[in-house]
Amino acid sequence: MTDTAPGLPRLGTTLFSLSLEQRKPGRDFANLVAEVAARDLGPGLEMVAFQSLRGWPRPSDEQISGVRRVIGESGLTPSCLAINNDLGLYPGRLLSDDESYEYVAVQVRGAAALGFPVTRVGVETSPAILERLLPLAEELGVTIGVEIHAPLTIEAPPVAALKELFTRLDTPWLGFIPDMSSSMRAVPDAVDDAHRAAGIAPELTAMTKELWAEPGPTMAKFPELERRAAEAGATPAQVGNLKMLFTMHGKMAPEQWADFFPHVVHVHGKFYGIVDGPDGLTDPSIDWPVVARVLREQNYTGFISSEYEAHAYSDRYNAFDQIRAQHDMLKRLLEAEPAVVR
Amino acid sequence: MGPLDDQVVRADSLTATPDGLDIAIYTHWYRALPLPSLARVDLTVDGERIDTAALSVTVNGHRYAFAELAEKGDEYWFTTDPAVVHVPIETAPGRQHRVQLLLGLSIPYILTGPDRVPLVAPSATDKTLTAA
Repeated sequence: MTDTAPGLPRLGTTLFSLSLEQRKPGRDFANLVAEVAARDLGPGLEMVAFQSLRGWPRPSDEQISGVRRVIGESGLTPSCLAINNDLGLYPGRLLSDDESYEYVAVQVRGAAALGFPVTRVGVETSPAILERLLPLAEELGVTIGVEIHAPLTIEAPPVAALKELFTRLDTPWLGFIPDMSSSMRAVPDAVDDAHRAAGIAPELTAMTKELWAEPGPTMAKFPELERRAAEAGATPAQVGNLKMLFTMHGKMAPEQWADFFPHVVHVHGKFYGIVDGPDGLTDPSIDWPVVARVLREQNYTGFISSEYEAHAYSDRYNAFDQIRAQHDMLKRLLEAEPAVVR
Repeated sequence: MGPLDDQVVRADSLTATPDGLDIAIYTHWYRALPLPSLARVDLTVDGERIDTAALSVTVNGHRYAFAELAEKGDEYWFTTDPAVVHVPIETAPGRQHRVQLLLGLSIPYILTGPDRVPLVAPSATDKTLTAA
């Protein structure tokens, strides 16, 4: 596996990027992992347990040894196992704190059994539950990271509560997993394909992108979006799709990821498409030069898991090729001379 | 909304059986979901709306009445496996049916609004297919 130079963040891939590949005939867990390795898209390997492992959260011993064998033979390094706290499991109620703890704890044990050093939960896992999970994380040697995904930003109250918790506990076993969806500079063009398929007029998509790009907090723009979309004749379902663009693509300044340190335990290299620009490979919707500079300045040496998500909008791009392009771009940015601090 | 919508009902999804029409559906969500997530199955076959009380669903080899799914939080519909919806209508191999389905999956970890209600991710299908 090709690695970045020592002392730099390491690259990797999450199998989530291959969500469409997974559905193709002849595909299985073993050959997806093998192809990630063959295309040199490691060294880190992340997966979503509920996506890749049939029978999760109760894998058999045979399945656990099978997964470990597949990863071992690939030469990839387990980086992070994404797990879920399904609080809304049953209609009409949320899991109690005890149920939520047990639901996550069994999966943290599963992550340890599979050999993952880090496991990811979402922000729905409360600070109280995280604090309760800490002794288990410590005992198993598995760090639990809370993903900071759009629409969350550094200003969001749950993020402030987590920061307070991590500062107070001062432990390496709990922390943040920044996801670049929170700090985008443009709505990705891949949405155009999905909107066309959903019968949304290109003018509506363009209007939503322009409104997104205007200054001011995204949350405050929802009423204006609804007003303009209704005026243009959008159906309620289409308005829902337009609003989803505001929810899925955050506008936090990427420099602000520095404020999440020293509690960053893993990074999601979320992206929606790398293109050839005049200065080489570039990402129109995520400012990777700034992100790479922040990670270097913070001396981050964990993994950046390439998380290609345009498959949610379009099937016209090859996910493997996209990850290759992102790795080439990131390697160049990370290994460049340190930029001057502004 | 997205490329997986077209795979919810596939070209080979319909099978005629002695007790009706089986429709194999595939999830449009990227991960396995617990069975209560099958929150909304608005199904119309050949213009006739099918009451969910008349439906049963087979997942992981177990057949459940639709209402029973809401209690099966310890069982999961895997990413690449079909759930077979059994529809009590008359059919035969080779017969064509128009299938209109609004599948609403309750996403148990994405809670929305002040009441923290799970997001419902819809996927709409309208296909005319031949039963095997």
